[in-house]
Amino acid sequence: MIVFTEGSLEITFNNVLNAEKFEEHGLTAMKAVDFLVELHDRYLFIEFKDPEQSDPNSSVMDYADNFKSGGLDQDLKYKFRDSFLFRWAERRPHKPCYYYVLVALRWLSTADLDRRTNALRRSLPVGTPLSWVRSIVDDCAVFNIASWNRTFPDYPVRRLP
Amino acid sequence: MALTKAKFENFTAFKDLEVEFSPGINALIGENGTGKTHLMKVCYAACDVSTTGGSFEDKLIRVFLPSGNRSNRLVRQAREETQGTAQVHCGERRLNATFSTMEIFAGMVIISDVPPWAGSPIRSVYVPPKDMLANAPGFRSLYELREIHFEEFCYDILQRADLPALREPIDDTHLRMLDSLESVIGGRVVVKGEEFFLSNEQGDLEFTLLAEGWRKLGLLWLLIQNGTLQSGSVLFWDEPEANLNPKMFKTVITVLLELQRAGVQVFFATHDYVILKELDLQMTEEDQVAFHSLYRNEAGEIACHTVDRYLGIHPNAIDEAFDDLYDRQIERSLGGLKS
Repeated sequence: MIVFTEGSLEITFNNVLNAEKFEEHGLTAMKAVDFLVELHDRYLFIEFKDPEQSDPNSSVMDYADNFKSGGLDQDLKYKFRDSFLFRWAERRPHKPCYYYVLVALRWLSTADLDRRTNALRRSLPVGTPLSWVRSIVDDCAVFNIASWNRTFPDYPVRRLP
Repeated sequence: MALTKAKFENFTAFKDLEVEFSPGINALIGENGTGKTHLMKVCYAACDVSTTGGSFEDKLIRVFLPSGNRSNRLVRQAREETQGTAQVHCGERRLNATFSTMEIFAGMVIISDVPPWAGSPIRSVYVPPKDMLANAPGFRSLYELREIHFEEFCYDILQRADLPALREPIDDTHLRMLDSLESVIGGRVVVKGEEFFLSNEQGDLEFTLLAEGWRKLGLLWLLIQNGTLQSGSVLFWDEPEANLNPKMFKTVITVLLELQRAGVQVFFATHDYVILKELDLQMTEEDQVAFHSLYRNEAGEIACHTVDRYLGIHPNAIDEAFDDLYDRQIERSLGGLKS
Protein backbone atom coordinates (compact mmCIF):
# COMPACT_ATOMS: atom_id res chain seq x y z
CA MET A 1 0.00 0.00 0.00
CA ILE A 2 1.44 3.39 -1.00
CA VAL A 3 -0.10 6.63 0.26
CA PHE A 4 0.47 10.13 -1.12
CA THR A 5 -1.06 13.48 -0.41
CA GLU A 6 -1.51 16.23 -2.95
CA GLY A 7 -2.73 19.38 -1.28
CA SER A 8 -5.60 18.25 0.88
CA LEU A 9 -6.32 15.14 -1.18
CA GLU A 10 -4.98 11.76 -0.19
CA ILE A 11 -4.68 8.80 -2.54
CA THR A 12 -3.86 5.24 -1.58
CA PHE A 13 -2.50 2.78 -4.14
CA ASN A 14 -3.13 -0.89 -3.46
CA ASN A 15 -1.95 -3.80 -5.62
CA VAL A 16 0.47 -1.84 -7.82
CA LEU A 17 4.10 -2.64 -8.80
CA ASN A 18 5.18 0.91 -8.07
CA ALA A 19 3.74 4.38 -7.53
CA GLU A 20 5.71 7.61 -7.39
CA LYS A 21 5.02 11.27 -7.03
CA PHE A 22 6.20 12.12 -10.49
CA GLU A 23 6.02 15.89 -10.26
CA GLU A 24 9.16 15.70 -8.12
CA HIS A 25 11.38 14.47 -10.98
CA GLY A 26 13.46 17.67 -10.69
CA LEU A 27 13.48 18.89 -14.28
CA THR A 28 11.75 22.24 -14.11
CA ALA A 29 11.74 22.73 -17.89
CA MET A 30 9.26 19.91 -18.27
CA LYS A 31 5.76 19.71 -16.95
CA ALA A 32 4.78 16.65 -15.00
CA VAL A 33 1.67 14.79 -13.96
CA ASP A 34 1.23 14.29 -10.22
CA PHE A 35 1.61 10.51 -10.01
CA LEU A 36 3.02 7.73 -12.13
CA VAL A 37 1.84 4.23 -11.32
CA GLU A 38 3.24 1.04 -12.77
CA LEU A 39 1.06 -2.06 -13.09
CA HIS A 40 2.20 -5.31 -14.58
CA ASP A 41 0.68 -4.49 -17.97
CA ARG A 42 0.58 -0.66 -18.11
CA TYR A 43 1.51 2.75 -16.73
CA LEU A 44 -1.09 5.06 -15.24
CA PHE A 45 -0.37 8.78 -15.50
CA ILE A 46 -2.50 10.56 -12.92
CA GLU A 47 -3.17 14.27 -12.56
CA PHE A 48 -5.13 15.91 -9.75
CA LYS A 49 -6.83 19.26 -10.11
CA ASP A 50 -8.14 20.64 -6.86
CA PRO A 51 -9.46 24.14 -7.48
CA GLU A 52 -10.96 24.42 -4.02
CA GLN A 53 -7.47 24.33 -2.53
CA SER A 54 -4.83 25.09 -5.12
CA ASP A 55 -5.10 28.77 -5.99
CA PRO A 56 -6.48 31.17 -3.39
CA ASN A 57 -6.30 34.04 -5.90
CA SER A 58 -8.84 32.67 -8.33
CA SER A 59 -12.37 31.69 -7.51
CA VAL A 60 -13.51 28.10 -7.75
CA MET A 61 -16.24 29.16 -10.17
CA ASP A 62 -13.69 30.79 -12.49
CA TYR A 63 -11.68 27.62 -12.38
CA ALA A 64 -14.72 25.48 -13.06
CA ASP A 65 -15.76 27.67 -15.99
CA ASN A 66 -12.25 27.51 -17.40
CA PHE A 67 -12.22 23.76 -17.05
CA LYS A 68 -15.66 23.25 -18.55
CA SER A 69 -14.92 25.51 -21.50
CA GLY A 70 -11.76 23.57 -22.30
CA GLY A 71 -9.34 26.24 -21.05
CA LEU A 72 -7.35 23.71 -19.03
CA ASP A 73 -7.06 21.16 -21.82
CA GLN A 74 -3.71 22.57 -22.98
CA ASP A 75 -2.22 22.25 -19.51
CA LEU A 76 -3.49 18.69 -19.15
CA LYS A 77 -2.18 17.80 -22.60
CA TYR A 78 1.36 19.14 -22.05
CA LYS A 79 1.61 17.58 -18.60
CA PHE A 80 1.00 14.20 -20.09
CA ARG A 81 3.24 14.66 -23.14
CA ASP A 82 6.19 15.94 -21.08
CA SER A 83 5.77 13.14 -18.57
CA PHE A 84 5.61 10.60 -21.38
CA LEU A 85 8.78 12.05 -22.98
CA PHE A 86 10.59 11.96 -19.64
CA ARG A 87 9.76 8.28 -19.26
CA TRP A 88 10.66 7.57 -22.90
CA ALA A 89 14.08 9.20 -22.39
CA GLU A 90 14.69 6.95 -19.39
CA ARG A 91 14.23 3.92 -21.65
CA ARG A 92 11.85 2.28 -19.26
CA PRO A 93 10.28 -0.89 -20.61
CA HIS A 94 7.43 0.08 -22.88
CA LYS A 95 3.96 -0.57 -21.62
CA PRO A 96 0.64 0.90 -22.69
CA CYS A 97 0.01 4.30 -21.08
CA TYR A 98 -3.29 5.51 -19.66
CA TYR A 99 -3.93 9.05 -18.47
CA TYR A 100 -6.50 9.79 -15.77
CA VAL A 101 -7.40 13.23 -14.49
CA LEU A 102 -9.28 13.87 -11.28
CA VAL A 103 -11.00 17.24 -10.92
CA ALA A 104 -12.14 17.72 -7.33
CA LEU A 105 -15.27 19.73 -8.08
CA ARG A 106 -18.31 18.04 -6.63
CA TRP A 107 -20.85 19.63 -8.92
CA LEU A 108 -19.31 18.48 -12.18
CA SER A 109 -22.06 16.48 -13.84
CA THR A 110 -21.42 13.30 -15.78
CA ALA A 111 -22.25 15.28 -18.90
CA ASP A 112 -19.42 17.73 -18.04
CA LEU A 113 -17.03 14.88 -17.31
CA ASP A 114 -17.95 13.06 -20.49
CA ARG A 115 -17.44 16.17 -22.60
CA ARG A 116 -14.03 16.88 -21.02
CA THR A 117 -13.02 13.25 -21.50
CA ASN A 118 -13.88 13.55 -25.18
CA ALA A 119 -11.92 16.81 -25.45
CA LEU A 120 -8.88 15.29 -23.72
CA ARG A 121 -9.02 12.24 -25.99
CA ARG A 122 -8.94 14.57 -29.00
CA SER A 123 -6.12 16.78 -27.72
CA LEU A 124 -3.60 14.14 -26.56
CA PRO A 125 -4.53 12.47 -28.98
CA VAL A 126 -5.88 9.01 -28.30
CA GLY A 127 -5.45 6.95 -31.46
CA THR A 128 -2.51 6.85 -33.84
CA PRO A 129 -1.79 7.94 -37.39
CA LEU A 130 -1.19 5.02 -39.77
CA SER A 131 2.61 5.56 -39.79
CA TRP A 132 3.01 5.22 -36.02
CA VAL A 133 4.06 1.82 -34.71
CA ARG A 134 2.89 2.55 -31.20
CA SER A 135 0.63 5.01 -29.44
CA ILE A 136 1.68 7.62 -26.90
CA VAL A 137 -1.49 7.18 -24.91
CA ASP A 138 -3.89 4.29 -25.09
CA ASP A 139 -6.80 6.07 -23.48
CA CYS A 140 -7.74 8.70 -20.94
CA ALA A 141 -10.64 9.85 -18.79
CA VAL A 142 -11.69 12.70 -16.52
CA PHE A 143 -13.25 12.02 -13.11
CA ASN A 144 -14.60 13.79 -10.08
CA ILE A 145 -13.91 12.23 -6.66
CA ALA A 146 -17.16 10.25 -6.63
CA SER A 147 -16.70 8.72 -10.06
CA TRP A 148 -12.98 8.09 -9.32
CA ASN A 149 -13.73 6.12 -6.18
CA ARG A 150 -16.49 4.23 -7.94
CA THR A 151 -14.13 3.30 -10.78
CA PHE A 152 -10.93 2.65 -8.80
CA PRO A 153 -11.77 1.00 -5.48
CA ASP A 154 -8.07 -0.03 -5.21
CA TYR A 155 -6.90 3.60 -5.44
CA PRO A 156 -9.28 5.46 -3.13
CA VAL A 157 -9.10 9.24 -2.87
CA ARG A 158 -10.31 11.22 0.11
CA ARG A 159 -10.17 14.82 1.22
CA LEU A 160 -8.19 15.23 4.39
CA PRO A 161 -9.93 16.97 7.25
CA MET B 1 -53.53 35.27 -13.48
CA ALA B 2 -51.37 32.21 -14.04
CA LEU B 3 -52.46 28.58 -13.81
CA THR B 4 -51.74 27.31 -10.31
CA LYS B 5 -52.46 23.60 -10.33
CA ALA B 6 -53.66 20.61 -12.33
CA LYS B 7 -55.16 17.51 -10.86
CA PHE B 8 -55.99 14.22 -12.56
CA GLU B 9 -57.81 11.09 -11.49
CA ASN B 10 -57.92 8.18 -13.91
CA PHE B 11 -57.45 10.52 -16.82
CA THR B 12 -55.48 9.21 -19.85
CA ALA B 13 -52.11 8.05 -18.42
CA PHE B 14 -52.68 9.37 -14.91
CA LYS B 15 -54.15 7.41 -12.02
CA ASP B 16 -53.82 10.08 -9.38
CA LEU B 17 -51.64 13.10 -9.98
CA GLU B 18 -51.51 16.65 -8.71
CA VAL B 19 -48.98 19.19 -9.97
CA GLU B 20 -48.58 22.71 -8.60
CA PHE B 21 -47.27 25.23 -11.08
CA SER B 22 -44.89 28.12 -10.93
CA PRO B 23 -46.36 31.38 -12.22
CA GLY B 24 -43.12 31.66 -14.23
CA ILE B 25 -41.40 28.82 -16.06
CA ASN B 26 -42.48 25.20 -15.71
CA ALA B 27 -40.00 22.74 -17.17
CA LEU B 28 -41.45 19.25 -17.58
CA ILE B 29 -39.03 16.38 -17.82
CA GLY B 30 -39.47 12.63 -17.79
CA GLU B 31 -39.17 9.58 -19.96
CA ASN B 32 -41.51 8.97 -22.87
CA GLY B 33 -44.99 7.98 -21.70
CA THR B 34 -44.94 9.88 -18.42
CA GLY B 35 -47.62 12.36 -19.49
CA LYS B 36 -45.72 15.61 -20.11
CA THR B 37 -47.64 16.39 -23.29
CA HIS B 38 -50.98 15.26 -21.83
CA LEU B 39 -50.54 17.63 -18.92
CA MET B 40 -49.83 20.55 -21.26
CA LYS B 41 -52.73 19.68 -23.56
CA VAL B 42 -55.24 19.70 -20.70
CA CYS B 43 -53.95 23.01 -19.40
CA TYR B 44 -53.97 24.48 -22.89
CA ALA B 45 -57.55 23.32 -23.49
CA ALA B 46 -58.59 24.96 -20.22
CA CYS B 47 -56.92 28.26 -21.18
CA ASP B 48 -58.42 28.17 -24.66
CA VAL B 49 -62.02 27.73 -23.51
CA SER B 50 -61.55 30.58 -21.06
CA THR B 51 -61.24 32.89 -24.09
CA THR B 52 -63.70 31.24 -26.48
CA GLY B 53 -66.36 30.26 -23.97
CA GLY B 54 -66.46 26.88 -25.73
CA SER B 55 -66.90 23.47 -24.18
CA PHE B 56 -63.95 22.06 -22.22
CA GLU B 57 -64.97 18.54 -23.25
CA ASP B 58 -65.04 19.41 -26.96
CA LYS B 59 -61.67 21.13 -26.72
CA LEU B 60 -60.12 18.17 -24.92
CA ILE B 61 -61.44 15.86 -27.60
CA ARG B 62 -60.06 18.07 -30.33
CA VAL B 63 -56.59 18.33 -28.80
CA PHE B 64 -56.37 14.64 -27.80
CA LEU B 65 -58.23 13.16 -30.78
CA PRO B 66 -59.49 9.96 -29.12
CA SER B 67 -60.74 7.31 -31.57
CA GLY B 68 -64.20 8.15 -32.87
CA ASN B 69 -64.09 11.39 -30.88
CA ARG B 70 -65.38 9.40 -27.91
CA SER B 71 -64.74 11.22 -24.66
CA ASN B 72 -64.84 7.98 -22.67
CA ARG B 73 -61.54 7.06 -24.39
CA LEU B 74 -59.93 9.71 -22.20
CA VAL B 75 -60.63 7.68 -19.07
CA ARG B 76 -57.53 5.77 -18.01
CA GLN B 77 -57.48 2.39 -19.70
CA ALA B 78 -57.72 0.11 -16.69
CA ARG B 79 -60.28 -2.63 -16.10
CA GLU B 80 -61.78 -1.23 -12.93
CA GLU B 81 -61.87 2.44 -13.92
CA THR B 82 -65.22 3.89 -14.95
CA GLN B 83 -64.66 7.57 -14.43
CA GLY B 84 -61.83 9.99 -15.13
CA THR B 85 -61.33 13.59 -14.08
CA ALA B 86 -59.13 16.43 -15.23
CA GLN B 87 -59.06 19.61 -13.22
CA VAL B 88 -57.21 22.85 -13.86
CA HIS B 89 -56.90 25.60 -11.26
CA CYS B 90 -56.24 29.26 -11.68
CA GLY B 91 -56.17 30.57 -8.13
CA GLU B 92 -59.69 30.22 -6.76
CA ARG B 93 -61.12 29.41 -10.15
CA ARG B 94 -61.33 25.80 -11.17
CA LEU B 95 -62.33 24.00 -14.36
CA ASN B 96 -63.22 20.39 -13.95
CA ALA B 97 -64.24 17.71 -16.47
CA THR B 98 -65.35 14.22 -15.52
CA PHE B 99 -65.70 11.53 -18.16
CA SER B 100 -67.46 8.19 -17.75
CA THR B 101 -67.02 4.83 -19.44
CA MET B 102 -70.28 3.38 -18.04
CA GLU B 103 -72.70 2.60 -20.82
CA ILE B 104 -75.54 4.52 -19.25
CA PHE B 105 -73.36 7.60 -19.13
CA ALA B 106 -71.43 6.84 -22.32
CA GLY B 107 -69.98 10.00 -23.77
CA MET B 108 -71.31 12.05 -20.91
CA VAL B 109 -69.11 14.65 -19.42
CA ILE B 110 -69.77 16.55 -16.25
CA ILE B 111 -68.17 19.95 -16.21
CA SER B 112 -68.03 22.27 -13.29
CA ASP B 113 -66.36 25.62 -13.24
CA VAL B 114 -66.66 27.41 -9.93
CA PRO B 115 -66.32 30.38 -9.90
CA PRO B 116 -67.03 30.86 -13.62
CA TRP B 117 -63.98 29.92 -15.64
CA ALA B 118 -64.80 31.94 -18.72
CA GLY B 119 -65.06 35.18 -16.74
CA SER B 120 -61.37 36.01 -17.04
CA PRO B 121 -59.83 34.94 -20.33
CA ILE B 122 -56.35 33.38 -20.23
CA ARG B 123 -54.66 33.94 -23.58
CA SER B 124 -52.51 30.99 -24.53
CA VAL B 125 -50.62 29.34 -27.33
CA TYR B 126 -49.50 25.75 -27.82
CA VAL B 127 -46.42 25.18 -29.94
CA PRO B 128 -46.18 21.56 -31.09
CA PRO B 129 -42.81 19.89 -31.89
CA LYS B 130 -43.62 19.96 -35.60
CA ASP B 131 -43.59 23.26 -37.45
CA MET B 132 -46.94 24.21 -38.96
CA LEU B 133 -46.13 27.56 -40.59
CA ALA B 134 -44.64 26.02 -43.73
CA ASN B 135 -47.87 24.07 -44.27
CA ALA B 136 -50.12 27.03 -43.54
CA PRO B 137 -51.53 27.81 -47.01
CA GLY B 138 -54.95 26.22 -47.22
CA PHE B 139 -54.65 24.38 -43.92
CA ARG B 140 -57.04 26.54 -41.95
CA SER B 141 -59.78 26.41 -44.60
CA LEU B 142 -59.30 22.67 -44.90
CA TYR B 143 -59.56 22.24 -41.13
CA GLU B 144 -62.69 24.36 -40.92
CA LEU B 145 -64.50 22.63 -43.77
CA ARG B 146 -63.41 19.02 -43.53
CA GLU B 147 -62.90 16.36 -40.88
CA ILE B 148 -59.13 16.00 -40.92
CA HIS B 149 -57.16 14.21 -38.24
CA PHE B 150 -55.00 16.99 -36.82
CA GLU B 151 -54.88 18.06 -33.20
CA GLU B 152 -56.64 21.39 -32.95
CA PHE B 153 -53.63 23.26 -31.61
CA CYS B 154 -52.11 22.85 -35.11
CA TYR B 155 -54.98 24.99 -36.37
CA ASP B 156 -54.91 27.33 -33.37
CA ILE B 157 -51.22 28.08 -33.76
CA LEU B 158 -51.77 29.31 -37.31
CA GLN B 159 -54.53 31.59 -36.10
CA ARG B 160 -52.26 33.05 -33.43
CA ALA B 161 -49.35 33.43 -35.85
CA ASP B 162 -51.54 35.16 -38.41
CA LEU B 163 -52.60 37.95 -36.07
CA PRO B 164 -51.43 41.35 -37.30
CA ALA B 165 -48.86 43.36 -35.34
CA LEU B 166 -49.94 45.32 -32.29
CA ARG B 167 -51.28 48.81 -32.80
CA GLU B 168 -49.40 50.23 -29.83
CA PRO B 169 -45.59 50.42 -29.81
CA ILE B 170 -43.69 47.37 -28.54
CA ASP B 171 -41.97 47.87 -25.17
CA ASP B 172 -38.21 47.57 -24.65
CA THR B 173 -38.35 44.08 -23.15
CA HIS B 174 -40.25 42.66 -26.11
CA LEU B 175 -38.05 44.59 -28.55
CA ARG B 176 -34.98 43.04 -26.96
CA MET B 177 -36.47 39.56 -27.40
CA LEU B 178 -37.33 40.29 -31.03
CA ASP B 179 -33.77 41.52 -31.65
CA SER B 180 -32.28 38.34 -30.13
CA LEU B 181 -34.41 36.15 -32.35
CA GLU B 182 -33.80 38.26 -35.46
CA SER B 183 -30.04 38.00 -34.98
CA VAL B 184 -30.30 34.21 -34.91
CA ILE B 185 -32.70 33.67 -37.81
CA GLY B 186 -31.29 36.54 -39.85
CA GLY B 187 -34.40 38.55 -40.51
CA ARG B 188 -38.03 39.29 -39.67
CA VAL B 189 -41.09 37.25 -40.46
CA VAL B 190 -43.71 38.60 -42.86
CA VAL B 191 -47.04 37.08 -43.79
CA LYS B 192 -48.43 37.34 -47.32
CA GLY B 193 -51.85 35.83 -47.69
CA GLU B 194 -51.44 32.55 -45.83
CA GLU B 195 -47.72 32.21 -46.57
CA PHE B 196 -44.92 32.99 -44.15
CA PHE B 197 -41.59 34.43 -45.30
CA LEU B 198 -38.30 35.33 -43.67
CA SER B 199 -37.53 38.83 -44.79
CA ASN B 200 -34.12 40.56 -44.81
CA GLU B 201 -32.07 42.82 -47.10
CA GLN B 202 -31.56 39.94 -49.54
CA GLY B 203 -35.28 39.49 -50.05
CA ASP B 204 -38.06 37.24 -48.84
CA LEU B 205 -37.50 33.53 -48.33
CA GLU B 206 -40.56 31.30 -48.07
CA PHE B 207 -40.75 29.14 -44.94
CA THR B 208 -40.76 25.92 -46.98
CA LEU B 209 -37.17 26.75 -47.97
CA LEU B 210 -36.13 27.65 -44.44
CA ALA B 211 -34.52 25.31 -41.90
CA GLU B 212 -37.23 23.93 -39.63
CA GLY B 213 -35.39 25.14 -36.52
CA TRP B 214 -35.47 28.71 -37.83
CA ARG B 215 -39.17 28.40 -38.61
CA LYS B 216 -39.83 27.66 -34.94
CA LEU B 217 -37.84 30.66 -33.82
CA GLY B 218 -39.68 32.66 -36.48
CA LEU B 219 -42.96 31.52 -34.93
CA LEU B 220 -41.78 32.70 -31.52
CA TRP B 221 -40.82 36.04 -33.10
CA LEU B 222 -44.34 36.39 -34.56
CA LEU B 223 -46.06 35.54 -31.28
CA ILE B 224 -44.04 38.19 -29.46
CA GLN B 225 -44.41 40.76 -32.21
CA ASN B 226 -48.18 40.37 -32.53
CA GLY B 227 -48.81 40.55 -28.79
CA THR B 228 -49.93 36.93 -28.29
CA LEU B 229 -47.22 36.53 -25.67
CA GLN B 230 -47.85 39.37 -23.27
CA SER B 231 -48.23 39.60 -19.52
CA GLY B 232 -50.96 37.24 -18.34
CA SER B 233 -50.69 34.86 -21.27
CA VAL B 234 -49.48 31.26 -21.19
CA LEU B 235 -47.02 29.63 -23.59
CA PHE B 236 -46.99 25.84 -23.94
CA TRP B 237 -44.03 24.55 -25.97
CA ASP B 238 -43.64 20.84 -26.56
CA GLU B 239 -39.98 19.92 -27.09
CA PRO B 240 -38.45 23.28 -27.96
CA GLU B 241 -35.29 21.38 -28.87
CA ALA B 242 -36.93 19.60 -31.84
CA ASN B 243 -35.09 20.48 -35.07
CA LEU B 244 -32.97 23.14 -33.37
CA ASN B 245 -29.19 23.07 -33.21
CA PRO B 246 -28.10 23.14 -29.54
CA LYS B 247 -26.18 26.36 -30.20
CA MET B 248 -29.55 28.11 -30.51
CA PHE B 249 -30.76 26.91 -27.12
CA LYS B 250 -29.01 29.78 -25.40
CA THR B 251 -31.21 32.25 -27.28
CA VAL B 252 -34.32 30.14 -26.70
CA ILE B 253 -33.78 30.08 -22.94
CA THR B 254 -32.87 33.77 -22.86
CA VAL B 255 -36.18 34.56 -24.55
CA LEU B 256 -38.20 32.21 -22.31
CA LEU B 257 -36.70 33.79 -19.20
CA GLU B 258 -37.42 37.27 -20.57
CA LEU B 259 -41.02 36.26 -21.30
CA GLN B 260 -41.35 34.98 -17.75
CA ARG B 261 -39.96 38.25 -16.39
CA ALA B 262 -42.54 40.05 -18.54
CA GLY B 263 -45.37 38.10 -16.87
CA VAL B 264 -45.86 35.23 -19.32
CA GLN B 265 -46.33 31.80 -17.76
CA VAL B 266 -44.29 29.22 -19.67
CA PHE B 267 -44.63 25.45 -19.85
CA PHE B 268 -42.20 23.36 -21.86
CA ALA B 269 -41.54 19.64 -22.06
CA THR B 270 -38.02 18.59 -22.89
CA HIS B 271 -35.72 15.61 -23.24
CA ASP B 272 -32.65 17.76 -23.70
CA TYR B 273 -29.76 18.29 -21.30
CA VAL B 274 -28.52 21.49 -22.93
CA ILE B 275 -31.94 23.15 -22.65
CA LEU B 276 -32.11 22.40 -18.91
CA LYS B 277 -28.48 23.34 -18.32
CA GLU B 278 -28.99 26.65 -20.12
CA LEU B 279 -31.95 27.34 -17.88
CA ASP B 280 -29.88 26.44 -14.83
CA LEU B 281 -27.03 28.72 -15.91
CA GLN B 282 -29.15 31.69 -16.99
CA MET B 283 -31.82 31.77 -14.27
CA THR B 284 -31.34 34.11 -11.34
CA GLU B 285 -32.66 34.01 -7.78
CA GLU B 286 -35.49 36.33 -8.81
CA ASP B 287 -36.72 34.09 -11.62
CA GLN B 288 -39.69 31.86 -10.90
CA VAL B 289 -38.83 28.43 -12.22
CA ALA B 290 -40.16 24.98 -11.36
CA PHE B 291 -38.69 21.74 -12.64
CA HIS B 292 -41.34 19.00 -12.70
CA SER B 293 -39.94 15.50 -12.97
CA LEU B 294 -42.63 13.06 -14.10
CA TYR B 295 -41.80 9.42 -13.47
CA ARG B 296 -43.35 6.04 -12.80
CA ASN B 297 -43.29 5.06 -9.14
CA GLU B 298 -42.84 1.54 -7.78
CA ALA B 299 -46.49 0.79 -8.48
CA GLY B 300 -45.94 1.81 -12.11
CA GLU B 301 -48.14 4.90 -11.74
CA ILE B 302 -47.12 8.36 -12.90
CA ALA B 303 -45.94 10.64 -10.12
CA CYS B 304 -44.35 14.08 -10.11
CA HIS B 305 -41.53 15.57 -8.10
CA THR B 306 -41.27 19.35 -8.31
CA VAL B 307 -38.19 21.37 -7.32
CA ASP B 308 -36.97 24.90 -7.94
CA ARG B 309 -33.34 24.01 -8.64
CA TYR B 310 -31.82 22.03 -11.47
CA LEU B 311 -29.59 20.00 -9.16
CA GLY B 312 -32.62 18.92 -7.15
CA ILE B 313 -34.34 17.22 -10.09
CA HIS B 314 -35.01 13.64 -9.17
CA PRO B 315 -35.44 11.33 -10.90
CA ASN B 316 -33.66 12.96 -13.84
CA ALA B 317 -34.11 10.82 -16.95
CA ILE B 318 -31.77 13.07 -18.95
CA ASP B 319 -28.93 12.86 -16.43
CA GLU B 320 -29.45 9.13 -16.19
CA ALA B 321 -28.83 8.86 -19.93
CA PHE B 322 -25.59 10.88 -19.55
CA ASP B 323 -24.53 8.77 -16.55
CA ASP B 324 -24.89 5.69 -18.70
CA LEU B 325 -22.86 7.26 -21.52
CA TYR B 326 -20.13 8.36 -19.11
CA ASP B 327 -19.97 4.96 -17.41
CA ARG B 328 -19.54 3.26 -20.76
CA GLN B 329 -16.89 5.82 -21.79
CA ILE B 330 -14.99 5.12 -18.56
CA GLU B 331 -15.22 1.40 -19.21
CA ARG B 332 -13.60 2.01 -22.60
CA SER B 333 -10.98 4.36 -21.13
CA LEU B 334 -9.93 1.71 -18.61
CA GLY B 335 -8.76 -0.51 -21.45
CA GLY B 336 -9.71 -3.68 -19.61
CA LEU B 337 -8.10 -2.61 -16.31
CA LYS B 338 -9.40 -4.71 -13.46
CA SER B 339 -9.13 -2.59 -10.36
